[in-house]
Amino acid sequence: MTAHIRPVCAVWVGMVCLVFCSRLSGMKAASICGNAQAECHFLSLANLFDRVIQHSARMHGISNDLHSEFELYFLPSKNQVSRVGRNCHTSNILTPNGKENAQRIEREELTEVIMKLLAAWRDPLWHFHQSVARNHRFNGYGSNKSLEMSDMAHELRKGVQKVVEKMQTLGVISNSVGGLASPEALLAADGSGWRFMKDSDLLYCFRRDSNKIQNYLKILKCRIVPEHGC
Amino acid sequence: MKKAEGVIILWWLLFFTLHAEGTSYSLPGKPTLTNCRSPEKETFTCWWEPGSDGGLPTTYHLYYRKESSDAVHECPDYRTAGKNSCFFNKNDTSIWINYNITVVATNARGSTFSDPVEIDVVYIVKPNPPEKVTVNVSWNKSWPSLRVSWDPPQKADTRSGWITLIYELRIKLEGEDKWEEHPAGQQKMYNIYSLQSGGTYLVQVRCRPDHGFWSEWSDSTYFKVPDYFPQERSIWIIIMIFSVFIFLILIWAIHMNSHTLKHHILPPVPGPKIKGFDKQLLKSGKSRDAFSSLVGSDFPPTTTNYEDLLVEYLEVYIPEEQGLMLEEGKDLHDGSLKSKSYTSDSDSGRGSCDSHALLVDKSEEEKEVGQKSNQQGGRTEMDLKRPEESPEENILNYSHANVGSPDVSCEKVKTWPSLFSPLTENSSGPLDQPDSPEMAKQHCLSDSLFPPSPLSSPFAPPGHKEVLGSNYQEYSFGNMHPHVLHPQTGSHQYLQAHGNMNVANIGHKGVPADLQLPPVRSTEYVEVQKVNNENMVLLYRVSSDAEKGCPGRRHTEEYSRLKGVNNDNGLLLLQRMVSEEEMNICPYEDQESSGLTDSGYTTSTAQKSTAYIPPATQVLDERVAGGYVDTSMFTLPIY
Repeated sequence: MTAHIRPVCAVWVGMVCLVFCSRLSGMKAASICGNAQAECHFLSLANLFDRVIQHSARMHGISNDLHSEFELYFLPSKNQVSRVGRNCHTSNILTPNGKENAQRIEREELTEVIMKLLAAWRDPLWHFHQSVARNHRFNGYGSNKSLEMSDMAHELRKGVQKVVEKMQTLGVISNSVGGLASPEALLAADGSGWRFMKDSDLLYCFRRDSNKIQNYLKILKCRIVPEHGC
Repeated sequence: MKKAEGVIILWWLLFFTLHAEGTSYSLPGKPTLTNCRSPEKETFTCWWEPGSDGGLPTTYHLYYRKESSDAVHECPDYRTAGKNSCFFNKNDTSIWINYNITVVATNARGSTFSDPVEIDVVYIVKPNPPEKVTVNVSWNKSWPSLRVSWDPPQKADTRSGWITLIYELRIKLEGEDKWEEHPAGQQKMYNIYSLQSGGTYLVQVRCRPDHGFWSEWSDSTYFKVPDYFPQERSIWIIIMIFSVFIFLILIWAIHMNSHTLKHHILPPVPGPKIKGFDKQLLKSGKSRDAFSSLVGSDFPPTTTNYEDLLVEYLEVYIPEEQGLMLEEGKDLHDGSLKSKSYTSDSDSGRGSCDSHALLVDKSEEEKEVGQKSNQQGGRTEMDLKRPEESPEENILNYSHANVGSPDVSCEKVKTWPSLFSPLTENSSGPLDQPDSPEMAKQHCLSDSLFPPSPLSSPFAPPGHKEVLGSNYQEYSFGNMHPHVLHPQTGSHQYLQAHGNMNVANIGHKGVPADLQLPPVRSTEYVEVQKVNNENMVLLYRVSSDAEKGCPGRRHTEEYSRLKGVNNDNGLLLLQRMVSEEEMNICPYEDQESSGLTDSGYTTSTAQKSTAYIPPATQVLDERVAGGYVDTSMFTLPIY
């Protein structure tokens, strides 16, 4: 009995190893990055886009919640007249207001717009969070949301930066697209008009801008990598 | 007066104006914007609800103002979207810009403005329902799988990423009311499982943008599920087969172990285990035959250890003077006793006092002898196997004389030809007149009185004497006093003589106290219990109890220990002392000498109550005749 066990065990172990090795190799073939470098790069770019788009969608959701909550508790009158005079500090950034406009504009320009928007909102969001935490206007929920919103905006900026770099390495867009250190971005960020905005207006403006960012990213993705989920 | 007239006129005018308004026209009612919707985020439409028209034809105008400019624009298209609507085309639509829209109702009387509404087109998107909902049936290993697929609404541009739509479908069986909803995400197809075979289903799909409103449900698409064999039934079949298989295995296992199971559950009834019992006979109905086999030859069992039932009585003579004894023995032999003794059969094992006749004869002779003291003494001496002192013999004679008719009834007394005790003769006397047959059943102690004096002291502890106080008139045991034998002819019928050293106490009931007899050498009967493995004959004293039977022989306790064999090939036996208990209950003689087998030695155990171990008797081989030891040949040292 024992004499038979050893060879049987060895055979069994060998078979298991073979199975695993085959599976591993199969998995390699089915990995994200295949043999072709171009495929692998594009696949990863689409993946990056998806992640960024999801991130921006989430950010927009938070801003939407905060805005509605703010209006519910702090502006029950819903006086629409006052809103007309509202002016976001990012108004100076030229953004396409329609589909045709967005499709007509170049990828680099669109990318830059995204970058500008994200850059313009870094400081105001942080400031808004500080204001909310200091004044205790919102409850704990609001305070956490504002902080989360600020962090997400910051991370989204970095993520978009990575996507831009990826696109530039792939040659999808030219290298003329400025980074965070571009003058336009700096100008946009330097504007201090946002300090005089009311919190309600700030939330309103950010909600819109986050929607723009999300939409622009989607357009960009479907323009660059249309075959993956567009 | 003037004032009153003025007031009246004023009131009259007021009344007229009021009356004129009630019946005349008025400003239109305030319209309200109900909703604005954009189907693809490129155009949008607003609808309003007009108020009362005021009786006059009223026109409605929609004016809007964009967020960043103050220019007021009017609705470009009032017709496309129907009545009381305003359609904004692509050119007029700007996304991410607030529109301030107001509807104005105007009639001849005036205009009425509606409440302004601010909208952002991004948040009023309500797409059209999905289109081309199709159901495809595909077979997968006899399983039909249904795939519902659709297209996004035509106007919604999802390909450019302008709009991202999320879909949802619902399905129900035809005729039912409850829908089964399934969210589909952003995919444009959906697989449905677990549908009824042959059923007709309805399916509908709707969509919505990521931040917008749900579209309307698409038109119902009917489809029929093809008939197929339900997998569940096949599973049940597999389960049934498996269970049947297991059941068969269980049956087989039970069958293999049926025997052991039967033993566990129904333990077998043990059959009768009686020797000689034939079950078959019982079964056949012949119960008489079945039981007869039990009663018949097997009982009394002959195959048992015969030696257990072997009862042998040995007369042990302890002659005080060997010469006398011998002489007397010779005389004795000359007597009829001898002949009779010779005629005595070697009835070993028989529990009856077969030697009654012999004993009677002896007793008669004893009587005759006893009449004459000398003769008695001689007789006794004759009987005695041992040489004893003459005075003792006299005593013996006396005892014999007094004994008269000693009642010794003991069936089991056996007299051997060489073993004879005078007392047995005496005792045989009473045998002539057995008081009761019951006596015969009891052990008989026929003892010959031995001169006790020299022997008494070593015999037994003085206590023995006391023990026997009530029952025995005078009993000296182990002392030098003469033992008294007071045989009585009473009911006791036991004559027990105290033997010599190796002779245990002799209890006499009803022995007259006044009779002082020297210790008489007496022959004692011992009963051979059995012959053990070492060729030892186990003896034990025969005890006689007048009123009650001896409770039983103490087979295992009554035997003489062999001290040794002297030079003359004589057995040296140790006198065994009887315990007090035994003396009380069943007084009997301790046997110092016993019957001898061919090569066996008799051993007698020393009594615990006895400190003294009397010297053993010597057995003379030449006296041994027929396997029996003639105690008369024994020579007991007298202490």
